Amino acid sequence: MSAATLRRLIVISLIALWEILPRAGFIPELFLPSLSSTLAAGWNEAGEYGHALAVTLYEVAISMAFACGGGILLGAIVGSLPRPRILIMPMVSSLYAVPLVILYPVFTIWLGIGSESKIAFASIYGFLPTMLATAAGIQTIDPQLLLAARSMGATLSQRLVRVIIPAAIPTVLSGLRVGGALVIVGVVVSEMLISSAGIGYLISRYRTILDSPHVFAGVLLVLAMAIAFNAAIKWIERKAAIWQTGTRAGQSAEEIAPAALQPAT
Amino acid sequence: MQPLANITLLKPAGAIEVRNVGQVFKTTTQDVVALEDVSLDVKPGRFVVLVGPSGCGKSTLLMMMAGLRQQTSGTITISGAPIPEPDPNRVGVVFQEASLFPWLTAEENVEFPLALRGITKSDRRARAQDALKLVGLDGFGKRHPHELSGGMKQRVSIARGLVQDPPVLLMDEPFAALDEQTRMTMGDELLRIWAATGKTVVFVTHSLTEAVYLADEVIVMSPRPGRIVDHLQVSLPRPRTYEMLSGDTFGSLRDRIWRHIRKSA
Repeated sequence: MSAATLRRLIVISLIALWEILPRAGFIPELFLPSLSSTLAAGWNEAGEYGHALAVTLYEVAISMAFACGGGILLGAIVGSLPRPRILIMPMVSSLYAVPLVILYPVFTIWLGIGSESKIAFASIYGFLPTMLATAAGIQTIDPQLLLAARSMGATLSQRLVRVIIPAAIPTVLSGLRVGGALVIVGVVVSEMLISSAGIGYLISRYRTILDSPHVFAGVLLVLAMAIAFNAAIKWIERKAAIWQTGTRAGQSAEEIAPAALQPAT
Repeated sequence: MQPLANITLLKPAGAIEVRNVGQVFKTTTQDVVALEDVSLDVKPGRFVVLVGPSGCGKSTLLMMMAGLRQQTSGTITISGAPIPEPDPNRVGVVFQEASLFPWLTAEENVEFPLALRGITKSDRRARAQDALKLVGLDGFGKRHPHELSGGMKQRVSIARGLVQDPPVLLMDEPFAALDEQTRMTMGDELLRIWAATGKTVVFVTHSLTEAVYLADEVIVMSPRPGRIVDHLQVSLPRPRTYEMLSGDTFGSLRDRIWRHIRKSA
């Protein structure tokens, strides 16, 4: 049995257990409502969940733009210029170790409990890893590649567009993966803490009245969002950075290996 | 009859003139003299090899011939004109391994210098195909560098250096990263390509065997400050064969170079 089939089987059996165990009475509904009652709870309040999802997605989208745009821009500057790097990198690295969530109450004081405070918090939360990864990506570009481009007469802007950016893409993408995931965490967590809308808010509100099916319906939505984001990043990685993993898009390593062995020199 | 004033501009394409060239690297603590009073004439179509211990400035000299670095004193002309910046129409450069762009296919790598000049896609493709055919990689154009062996990557690199048909090809230890067998095969391949194209080749290497096997002339350099200590004519007939490696002529030439290097190392 291949690893992929096995993985699918495990996921399917977990979903089946989620349905069977609560139904059979092994797990109380309060701890884990069955999958069907969770879906039903979500379906019955589809309007409420839809509205919450729209709010959350809006906050995630704006924060993503700030975190990723700002992270890539500042990371590129810091990565390519030594002076700002020496100045900024140690600060950013130590800041990265601080649990930023302690700042969220401060943001609600400054910006209120609406979307603005969530966007501010999630943007900063996702910004740091994106910036660090971009800076590292630019810094680790093989200087031989730049020298080769120069020997072929590439101007500074040609080197930027045709060498530096494509060479940095894999590291930037891995930064986006971490940064983007943190943006989602940042938005949902801040909604759960102090808020009046969004999926995090719904989860938190239903929890206070011990309505487990509605809590789990919210959890499912966040899960779906994270999986969709991950799939999107994977798709971009396949499109943009096929060379990094050493395998070509849509082609497995086993297919490439024999071909690579053919000629001696 | 009065000689024409511009007679020096009529030098045949591919001639290299190095006159009293010096190179000083300024560091914060001291000035390091990398090259001192180096003069050298390479006639068009010759295969000249630069050897010498590490730090003798042979690569530095090559980088100056490529226009990638400016000398502190003296003049260098290629085909009769100075080379203040890289000019791929006059000089092609082949580096050590890893200077191919990993996100581009073999043919896109070869097309790279043409793309910088805005040459149309179909034109580029045709010229890249010709260059790949010349280096024996017909049919491998769609592969990415990671799908090619070390020797094949260097072939792509040579094709890229030749694609604009410059009269001069400069090679900086191009086979240093290859295993012994591949290195021998690539040496023969390079001689075949050289014979077919009639380029002037300046080749930097650490390997004495490689130097004598490939060269018309071997220039031996000494380190700190880099100077030319010997200039050998290799009288072995062409095409060179493996059997010559064990002959007396080969042995005595190799010996003569080794004695210079041992003295300065």
